[in-house]
Amino acid sequence: MRPILLSGHERSLNQIRFNKDGDLLFSVSKDKNVCAWWTANGERLGTYAGHQGAIWTVDVSPNTVILATGSADNTVRLWNIKTGECVKVWDFPTAVKRVAFSPDGSKLLAVTEKRMGFLGTIAVLDIAYGDGQGNNLDSQADEPSLRITCTESKATVAGWSFLGKYIIAGHEDGSVSQYDPKTGDQLENVQAHEFDHQINDIQFSADRTHFITASKDKSAKLMSARELAILKTYTADTPLNSASITAKKDYVILGGGQAAMDVTTTSARQGKFEARFYHKIFEDEIGRVRGHFGPLNTIDVHPAGTAYASGGEDGYVRIHHFDKGYFDFMYEVEREQLRK
Amino acid sequence: MSRLGNNADWADDEEFDDPSALPAQQVITNKDGTKTVISYRFNDENKKVKVTRRIKTTVVREHVNPQVAERRSWAKFGLEKGNPAGPSFDTTSVGENIVFRPSTNWKVQAKEAEKEGEKGSVKDQLKDKKVKCRICSGEHFTARCPFKDTMAPVEESTSGAGAEMDEDKAGGLGAGSSSYVPPHLRKGGAAGGEKMGGRFEKDDLATLRVTNVSELAEEQELRDLFERFGRVTRVFLARDRETQRAKGFAFISYADRGDAANACAKLDGFGYRHLILRVEFAKRST
Repeated sequence: MRPILLSGHERSLNQIRFNKDGDLLFSVSKDKNVCAWWTANGERLGTYAGHQGAIWTVDVSPNTVILATGSADNTVRLWNIKTGECVKVWDFPTAVKRVAFSPDGSKLLAVTEKRMGFLGTIAVLDIAYGDGQGNNLDSQADEPSLRITCTESKATVAGWSFLGKYIIAGHEDGSVSQYDPKTGDQLENVQAHEFDHQINDIQFSADRTHFITASKDKSAKLMSARELAILKTYTADTPLNSASITAKKDYVILGGGQAAMDVTTTSARQGKFEARFYHKIFEDEIGRVRGHFGPLNTIDVHPAGTAYASGGEDGYVRIHHFDKGYFDFMYEVEREQLRK
Repeated sequence: MSRLGNNADWADDEEFDDPSALPAQQVITNKDGTKTVISYRFNDENKKVKVTRRIKTTVVREHVNPQVAERRSWAKFGLEKGNPAGPSFDTTSVGENIVFRPSTNWKVQAKEAEKEGEKGSVKDQLKDKKVKCRICSGEHFTARCPFKDTMAPVEESTSGAGAEMDEDKAGGLGAGSSSYVPPHLRKGGAAGGEKMGGRFEKDDLATLRVTNVSELAEEQELRDLFERFGRVTRVFLARDRETQRAKGFAFISYADRGDAANACAKLDGFGYRHLILRVEFAKRST
């Protein structure tokens, strides 16, 4: 496969997201621009300008009408994807580290940083889609409909489970918790990763019944959304920044690498700047894809499972469209199952 | 000088009008259906660059969600506003090809690939060399020859190394070849030099090498067999030192080369004691 290199950012990537149809890819980095790309050929559709600080997070509504971004300038912004206009700005007391749309697109959660005496929170915002034609997108509620305060350990990442029934959050201390998005109560809290090893990413399967976490403790865990049971564990030899579940084939992709501050002291070979592919069921590592010159900060998989993209500390986004060998690989037991 | 009057003033030559202007883009349609697009642009050093692209258009039909189809028509915005359709050079490029084949033992494979990369230089050197068997001249190592047991290459240099590359013997000492070439064989063996008057020296041209001889063969039997074609001066049957059984090859020397050629033609492929003889002219021994 020939990767498509996207060099629209001047600084390291923070998050990339495919939209639900997989034809667009959105990327945010520590420079102040959001970029939208066509995944088929890597053409840039446009940029969304307006943020005053590093952008930590991006998410796209399920109908690809509204884009949400959270930034170190303490704001969450909504953008009209088609025109590039900013339609809404919410101010928060601290930086916003993660935004995520609910499966139906009616709600947006925003994870805020714990800083300057403010505790980390998860805010839930109601999203309106105007007249459905992309007009009047700017009529949004001014205040969050719910605020969950993380008193014990701040949340670093969060997402919505199946049908928006739970909010699942990963914490700085390595625990994963489950919240009720109606009341804001914490329903469960599981120490999934080693204590005090931050969870850097959380991504859901297509049906959102299970999710994968990536942590600084060099492992990724597949967990069920309903009872937070650890289903599978994937161990790597480097701190992980991102993990993603592939559709179509039962793989997971992990990305990481040593911390950016240590990168210059080691060679690229030792840096482990590779995307690691594991088999989702058997937990075996089945291959690596190299290419980045720095740690992989973020990985996302095309919703159809035909491609994946990775964003690195080196400022590049690489889109890889899988070729035949990827789809053909099967374990012997899988082949036997197929014969029956 | 009316000639000059007809010409326009050189200063009016349109090429000099605006040095910063870029020539218009040219599109040429080739016979094979491809298009050649010649465009000009300024590079980072502000130099004019001619870009020639050959484009083959393949129409791929794809059924997509109507929303996706509608999105395709969206205009660019932000930093891309006003840019023409298609990826631009400064943001999008194609990386080098990555071979990604998932496998359970990918670590072992990756290590092997790495090792091969180290060996690569030696491999490249030997790329054009062909392996040639010293027994049957086939394309395999001598040690792997199927006739290894039945045909012994005694008349050739017994260097002991099982594998040897085919190399031109023209070079003398050294000259890129690893094996030693004796002085009388250098320069293709044509160089005169003094020869020791060996006992069978003059018979060399009329000596046959017989291989695939049965283990139970006797010298006298062979002599009777080969005597039919002319006078045989010498029969040599190689025997194992301990068991005294035939090793499977023999040398027959004739007085006359014509007889030898006749015998070679007739007895090559002759069935003898359940085995098919192979008869050929012996090569000059070293």
